[in-house]
Amino acid sequence: MAVANEVENRRAKSGKSPQSDGKAERERLRMMMLIRRFEERTYQEYTKPGQKIGGFCHLYSGQEAIAVGIAALFDKQRDYLINGYRCHGHSLALGMSPRAAMAELFGKATGCSKGKGGSMHLFSAEDHNLGGHGIVGGHIPLGVGVAFAQKYKRTGGVTFCLFGDGAINQGTFNEALNLASLYKVPCIFIVENNGVAMGTQVERASAEHDLARRGCGFNMPHYNVDGNDLDTVIAEFGKAVERARNGEGPSYIVANTYRFRGHSMSDAMKYRTKEEMQRARQRDPISLYEVALRERGLLTDEQADAMEEEVNKLIDEAIRQADADPHPDIEDRFTDILAEQYPLEK
Amino acid sequence: MIEEMERDENVFLMGEEVAEYNGAYKVSEGMLDRFGPQRVIDTPISEAGFAGLGIGAATVGLRPIIEFMSWSFTLVCLDQLVNNAANIRYMSGGQFKVPIVFRGGNGIAHQLAATHSHRVETIYARIPGLVVVSPSTPYDAKGLLKTSIRCDDPVIFLESEMLLGDKGEVPDEEYTLPLGKAHVEREGSEVTIISYGKSMARFARPATKVLVEEEGIDVELIDLRTLRPLDLPTIVNSVKKTNRCVIVSEDYGYCGMGGAILAQLQKPCFDYLDAPIENIHSDEIPVPFNHYMEQAMMPSVEKVVAAVKEVTYR
Repeated sequence: MAVANEVENRRAKSGKSPQSDGKAERERLRMMMLIRRFEERTYQEYTKPGQKIGGFCHLYSGQEAIAVGIAALFDKQRDYLINGYRCHGHSLALGMSPRAAMAELFGKATGCSKGKGGSMHLFSAEDHNLGGHGIVGGHIPLGVGVAFAQKYKRTGGVTFCLFGDGAINQGTFNEALNLASLYKVPCIFIVENNGVAMGTQVERASAEHDLARRGCGFNMPHYNVDGNDLDTVIAEFGKAVERARNGEGPSYIVANTYRFRGHSMSDAMKYRTKEEMQRARQRDPISLYEVALRERGLLTDEQADAMEEEVNKLIDEAIRQADADPHPDIEDRFTDILAEQYPLEK
Repeated sequence: MIEEMERDENVFLMGEEVAEYNGAYKVSEGMLDRFGPQRVIDTPISEAGFAGLGIGAATVGLRPIIEFMSWSFTLVCLDQLVNNAANIRYMSGGQFKVPIVFRGGNGIAHQLAATHSHRVETIYARIPGLVVVSPSTPYDAKGLLKTSIRCDDPVIFLESEMLLGDKGEVPDEEYTLPLGKAHVEREGSEVTIISYGKSMARFARPATKVLVEEEGIDVELIDLRTLRPLDLPTIVNSVKKTNRCVIVSEDYGYCGMGGAILAQLQKPCFDYLDAPIENIHSDEIPVPFNHYMEQAMMPSVEKVVAAVKEVTYR
């Protein structure tokens, strides 16, 4: 009986009816697996001899529940998302093909940004994905502006503005949250707190260790969420979405998580102990969700295996294609700078 | 601004003191009453915040006009203009555009000292992805601003506090002026004077009057109007014709606007020059508070007249 209640509770938390056939849930699991596989294969491609991925590259492994949770709440007709440079996960979750993302990492013409953005700058207008931004905290005011436009045009949309625990120490964080609350725009600020800004732990960067409390003083809800539990992410982010859609303004949420890989590819992670990493592995968001779905009878071994196999194939194929795809025409370096032709008469 | 806001409901004005105070320099006087607080919006003192807000709003279809009380204050939000406004289109492979106007007073006003007197033209005119405009008359200000608001690219619109009180003919009927096109204000055959903005209004134009009327020198006077993209063909053709050139800008000489223009002219005009190009600029010092020191550091009508005489060997 106790177990049955637990299952009921989980169902209630996920917002799904008890009759759920599990299709949506399995798709979320599949997407988390896809992101993980994408990132781990990216790691391999980046580090193997004859490196084909250049520049900075920041992996999302371990944080998948946040991007996939947002995608579950995302209304593609009217919502927008903007993020910092750890942007592979949300881009895939919002619908970018692994090929377009991988080709961008390879700098190819078929990449989402035609090879002009790279790993840190994945954009997709079609998916309402506003990037991928390389300067820590620089994009937070932009998120407020997108939400401002949604309110101005009364679209009913909301903006998910994501950034890391490092970004909250930038001045733009303060300015953006204050403006968002003053103008009561439908912006949901989400801190993906993986505990460390490059190599600087939260405790060494923020005088207030509880990052949710850094949201005090803006007259908006501010709270911590377990960012590794997908159902919790959906339920807790969902409250902020509802609030924003109802015209009640912005929220500030700290989604606590852990990144399994280094800050970027050159990071040996000497600032972490083996024990800490092992503990974190116990709370792998994908395993947690897999167990939850099995408990609820929504996932069989066969389904899980088939999913994994399909995802592996898909990413292998994306890498094969990205590798084979052409580099952009060298002359195209002069395009996409300005939208207009000059002299300009209007 | 009023005409464009009436024409397109996606245009709005945002900045410090633009609404209830009616504008720090009264530029937006009456606009709050006319359009209401949804479209004429006061901000806290958060340049990076509201500049970025405007950029975000522009990427999803609005056409913001962001007023800075002074361009000097944009040094605290440089990242927004340089990294975000200018780069989003390129980094997204052309998926997004950023139709936004940033406007405010640029350059040396009067006794505001070093922090409030920056000339920011080369900070922005060197950045691909930005358009930089600097009007020198009321007529140009209106025509260029209207085109800037309709433009799908981010426009850095450099006004001058000192020119806000200037009077000039401004027709009531609809007109616009092209961006990226210099204006040959006076045709002449002996020397080309190139300038823009306040330097045009206060130094180059009055100096031309002196040179033509009192010295009998046939000056060709060019107002750049747009600093990026630079209308190189117009100025090159003029210098090839007159064989002499004086550039006038209150920017610094080293790494300044005049030097940048000079570098563009040097090669195409080399064989046509009868004298080295003169670059009249401000002294290489922080802008002093003292009135006389401030006046002394800037270009002047006298300095321009002397430079023209030098290149024409008078």
